[in-house]
Amino acid sequence: MGKNNKSTLLKIDNLSISYGVVNALRNISLEINKGEIVTLIGSNGAGKSTLLGSVLAMHSVDNGEVIFCGEDITHLPTERIVASGICLLPEGRGIIPLMTVLENLLLGGYYLNKTDLEKHLKYVYERFPILKKRNKQQAGTLSGGEQQILSIGRGLMSAPKLLMMDEPSLGLAPVMVEELFKIIIDLNKEGYSILLSEQNARKALQCSHRAYLFETGNIILKGTAEEVANDPMVREAYLGMEWRKNP
Amino acid sequence: MNQFALEVFGAQLVNSLAIGSIYAILVVGFNLLLLIGGIFQYAYPHLVVMSMYICWLVLMATNNNRILGILAAILASIVINLATEPLFRPLVKRKASVHTFVLSLGIATIAMDVMNRMINTGRPIAFPPQFSGLQSLVKVGIVTISIGQFLTIFGSIVAMFIFIYMLYRTKQGRAFRAMAQNLFVARVLGIPITRQRILSYAIAGLLGGISAVFFAMTLGSVWSTIADILALKVLVAVLLAGMGNLKGGLISAYIIGIIEGLSLAYLPGDWTNAIVFGFVIAIVIIKPKGLFGLRA
Repeated sequence: MGKNNKSTLLKIDNLSISYGVVNALRNISLEINKGEIVTLIGSNGAGKSTLLGSVLAMHSVDNGEVIFCGEDITHLPTERIVASGICLLPEGRGIIPLMTVLENLLLGGYYLNKTDLEKHLKYVYERFPILKKRNKQQAGTLSGGEQQILSIGRGLMSAPKLLMMDEPSLGLAPVMVEELFKIIIDLNKEGYSILLSEQNARKALQCSHRAYLFETGNIILKGTAEEVANDPMVREAYLGMEWRKNP
Repeated sequence: MNQFALEVFGAQLVNSLAIGSIYAILVVGFNLLLLIGGIFQYAYPHLVVMSMYICWLVLMATNNNRILGILAAILASIVINLATEPLFRPLVKRKASVHTFVLSLGIATIAMDVMNRMINTGRPIAFPPQFSGLQSLVKVGIVTISIGQFLTIFGSIVAMFIFIYMLYRTKQGRAFRAMAQNLFVARVLGIPITRQRILSYAIAGLLGGISAVFFAMTLGSVWSTIADILALKVLVAVLLAGMGNLKGGLISAYIIGIIEGLSLAYLPGDWTNAIVFGFVIAIVIIKPKGLFGLRA
């Protein structure tokens, strides 16, 4: 792991977070370079979601720091971190059900001025025409796949420097999962840096550059996606049994 | 005789609508604090009544300057509501919703005591006729409306319209609705939730101040214990509609105003509250989610 600071986008250093007596994260260090897709794999409750949340300062930190574009954001208010260019697509897609597709998209550009808002909206509509077609429809009435696209579109509204996705493939039909990972790869080709948390380890490792394996709040393995995928433990626990875990 | 009966009915209906309008504003303010502020603000009507007392004090001090009186009521309501925010904040942060109810009960009790002991030696206060507009009557057909009632009904509708426009047509409203539907996602999207919460107290205070002015206009006098009665009515309207249902709350506020006004006119007066609450008990048992369901 080279220490090339020029290309480091996000650096998490020795981060620990606990909920009461439970240690959710223990001295976690990881980094994401510009233009990378980095995947966090691990089972439920391993601390992946907590880590993504902690980047947005959603939890109180015991020790350690989060550096984004060279700036310490560990204790900044969430809204300032979001405004500085980090976007989280929450687990379960997190669309606002009783608002229209358009209103959801506008919320994604909460910090933009009017011209940027319109520009980004046009871009998102061009990228995902389905959202334009459904723009007046209540978001809660969309299908699961459409909701995931809305979630991504809403995330792109702010043109983030770092896109974090929490379990994006969860609960999607297999066809849609294929489509989703295609979108992720395309976004990365367009220049988006992506931090992915996934239980669908096979798919995630196929599309990402590097990966970290989480277990009970610790990183127990890290390396390029290929190295992690070829690790015997990962093969047995996360790839071999995958068809049973994600029917 | 028949003509007279109709006139009484008309007058009662207008009165019911005026009272219902005041309940409606209070219900909106209460729901705003519930959904955005994250608190169960039982003391909201108490703070409104307190603003009426301050309005009265300013009227006394300025030789009945109406403009200053109205400004005082609205400003007082905003300031008092905002002043409670730091008390609620730690409870809201640790999601102790039941505790917010306990805290608001405490605030209500203290507010009552302040009004009882410190203002006008605890006696009811009467607003001067030129403020209340009880005397100036307008006759429309068989219905007689006082200026105060007219302003209350009309002004409340305008206030509601502006509020609903804000909620459904502006960026501010989108932020509020997102917070009400999914606080976690609202935060992830970068909505500054603490600032929005404080703003919800200010808007609830503004609405409370407006209702305080209208209440003074329709009622003409006020006393501290009316706050408890008001609080119960607001609670009833909120429960009737389903907690946090804004539009439903508006409708049930008018329903309660009308039931109350008409039962006051045509049934033994002492039973008004029993009848209103009897109705609510029936609704809560038969339709536990309220007349209009949750969060429409």
